[in-house]
Amino acid sequence: MKPYIIRRSLLDGFCFSVICSAFYFYLPEAVLNTEMNFKLQIILFLCELILGALLSSVLYRGRITTLGAKIFQPDFNPGVAEAKNFYRTFWGWQFLVTLLILFIIGIFKTRFSFFELLNIDGLQGAQRLFLGMASPNWQVLPQAISNIIETIFMAFIATTLATPVAFVLSFLAAKNVMKGRMAFIIYLFLRTILNLVRSIEALVWAIIFSVWVGIGPFAGMLALMMHSIASLTKQYSEIVESVNEGPIEGIQSCGANKIQTIWYAIVPQVILPFISFTVYRWDINVRMATIIGLVGGGGIGTMLIKYQGQAMWAEVGTIIFVIAVVVWLMDQASAVLREALK
Amino acid sequence: MPNVILEIKNLKKTYPNGVRGLRGVSFQVLRGEFLVIIGLSGSGKSTLLRCINRLTDATNGQIKISIDQTAEKVDVTKFKSPTAIRALRKSIGMIFQQFNLVPRHTVIKNVLMGKLATTTTLKSILGLFSVADRTEALNYLELVGIADKAYLRADHLSGGQQQRVAIARALMQKPQILLADEPVASLDPATSHTVMNYLKKVNHELGITIICNLHDLSIVRQYATRVIALKDGEIVFEGSPLAINEDWFQKIYGIGALEKEIG
Ligand SMILES: Nc1ncnc2c1ncn2[C@@H]1O[C@H](COP(=O)(O)OP(=O)(O)O)[C@@H](O)[C@H]1O
Ligand SMILES: [Mg+2]
Repeated sequence: MKPYIIRRSLLDGFCFSVICSAFYFYLPEAVLNTEMNFKLQIILFLCELILGALLSSVLYRGRITTLGAKIFQPDFNPGVAEAKNFYRTFWGWQFLVTLLILFIIGIFKTRFSFFELLNIDGLQGAQRLFLGMASPNWQVLPQAISNIIETIFMAFIATTLATPVAFVLSFLAAKNVMKGRMAFIIYLFLRTILNLVRSIEALVWAIIFSVWVGIGPFAGMLALMMHSIASLTKQYSEIVESVNEGPIEGIQSCGANKIQTIWYAIVPQVILPFISFTVYRWDINVRMATIIGLVGGGGIGTMLIKYQGQAMWAEVGTIIFVIAVVVWLMDQASAVLREALK
Repeated sequence: MPNVILEIKNLKKTYPNGVRGLRGVSFQVLRGEFLVIIGLSGSGKSTLLRCINRLTDATNGQIKISIDQTAEKVDVTKFKSPTAIRALRKSIGMIFQQFNLVPRHTVIKNVLMGKLATTTTLKSILGLFSVADRTEALNYLELVGIADKAYLRADHLSGGQQQRVAIARALMQKPQILLADEPVASLDPATSHTVMNYLKKVNHELGITIICNLHDLSIVRQYATRVIALKDGEIVFEGSPLAINEDWFQKIYGIGALEKEIG
């Protein structure tokens, strides 16, 4: 089966099962949430998915454009489809109804409540918090500064260690460098690993490393480094893939080997964007480092979570102030630097 | 035949997408020739040159090269190891329509890149080219008349100057053959003649065999010692540039083509 048919069927099937689930609202909550019925729900969902997919192909035969066909089918009925306004099309309504039902389900699932938002007790709590933050306790300022310096250094070391690793890996993860059978296998392998590493959030890496090497800045730094290696490699290798082939052939025709070709034909073309991405990564890492501190990665985040736990809002206010200033400064500095590097 | 430097037999190239770039091309090149290959764009000229130094792998056929006068001719399409291919490329210089210099490096560094094949990887990465190499680079820049530009960035030069740098880079390889893929196609007529004259000088003074793809027939007549015309990946003419009369012209470029339009 062609991939676009599978995609179309999946999307239309999903829309159909979403539309079906609108009818579940008539069922009492107790019926929906019991253990036994969970299996039933899965089976029901799969049935709806298949039914929807079948319906999709029936509609397709009847030359009706479903959302799946609109998005995935190559050249489906192009002339007719373009002529109509979207609210006069089948796929338009399919999209709107699906979105509406998903939105309603979402409101329930997130327990959205104006009552909680406007509850007096809650409001007073928030007021205390804001007042505390608005009158920071400057006594903890020296400690906050020394902690944010730790955070900045965490980000700095993570970026510095990640950069050379990502530099080397980026060429191995670039299609235009990895030509040939064996090279392509390495390329695919590396891409897969990198995507895996990148799909694990830095916050999760921090939890892993704080178990591994103990809570503190070292764990935070390692977490940032892992994430940075994967992200930088991806960004770098995309730049490598977009280089001008001319100089590469020029150097190759001189009898240069692979490393010489990379060094003389590719590196000069990519070095400025590489530096620019590295600066930006440091900037991102400083922000991430503060968050990572919350789960035991050391630095200002750890300090923040400590005072927050004791509801010491004036101290929290100081810390937030320090973070805001530093993040703003980093942001400005990195923007100026990257602009200059263009 | 001791003076045959290159012998191509029944060379075919089919690209992965099914396009047949070359459909069985056979010819010989004598040492010291200035052979010009003409043909419409898409006729397979670039493919042919790129097969010779293995930037492209031929699908079928033989390319036999005798690198130095005494040695047996070897079929370079059989080369498998990267080392053998690099050694081949070292003895065949190539220049391109878009010059293919490294824009951010200086002119002299670009010229020194012609010595990459004989420089170790470590030394070349550290930029440690020998004094002899540097002197040689300056000499070749002198030969193509731009020694005074040696320490400028390559992309600050005009097109014609860049192509001369590319010639100097190729000469650094001490090549037996110089391939030129439409070397003047992006240059204006006056500059074109300057560059072509330097190629002629290289051919006469250094005895380097030149195989050059060209578009402009008026240039062809001035510089070529022999001409091969390609059409749809096949040779349709082989002979003296002066033998290309109106009839041949129409055969090569299609009925109704005018010489002016082609140039
Ligand atoms: N990398 C490639 N992949 C597929 N087809 C190619 C490639 N390079 C060239 N061709 C095709 O091969 C034919 C010959 O091209 P080329 O050798 O570049 O001709 P010329 O240099 O005479 O203009 C053309 O039809 C061209 O489209
Ligand atoms: Mg060409």
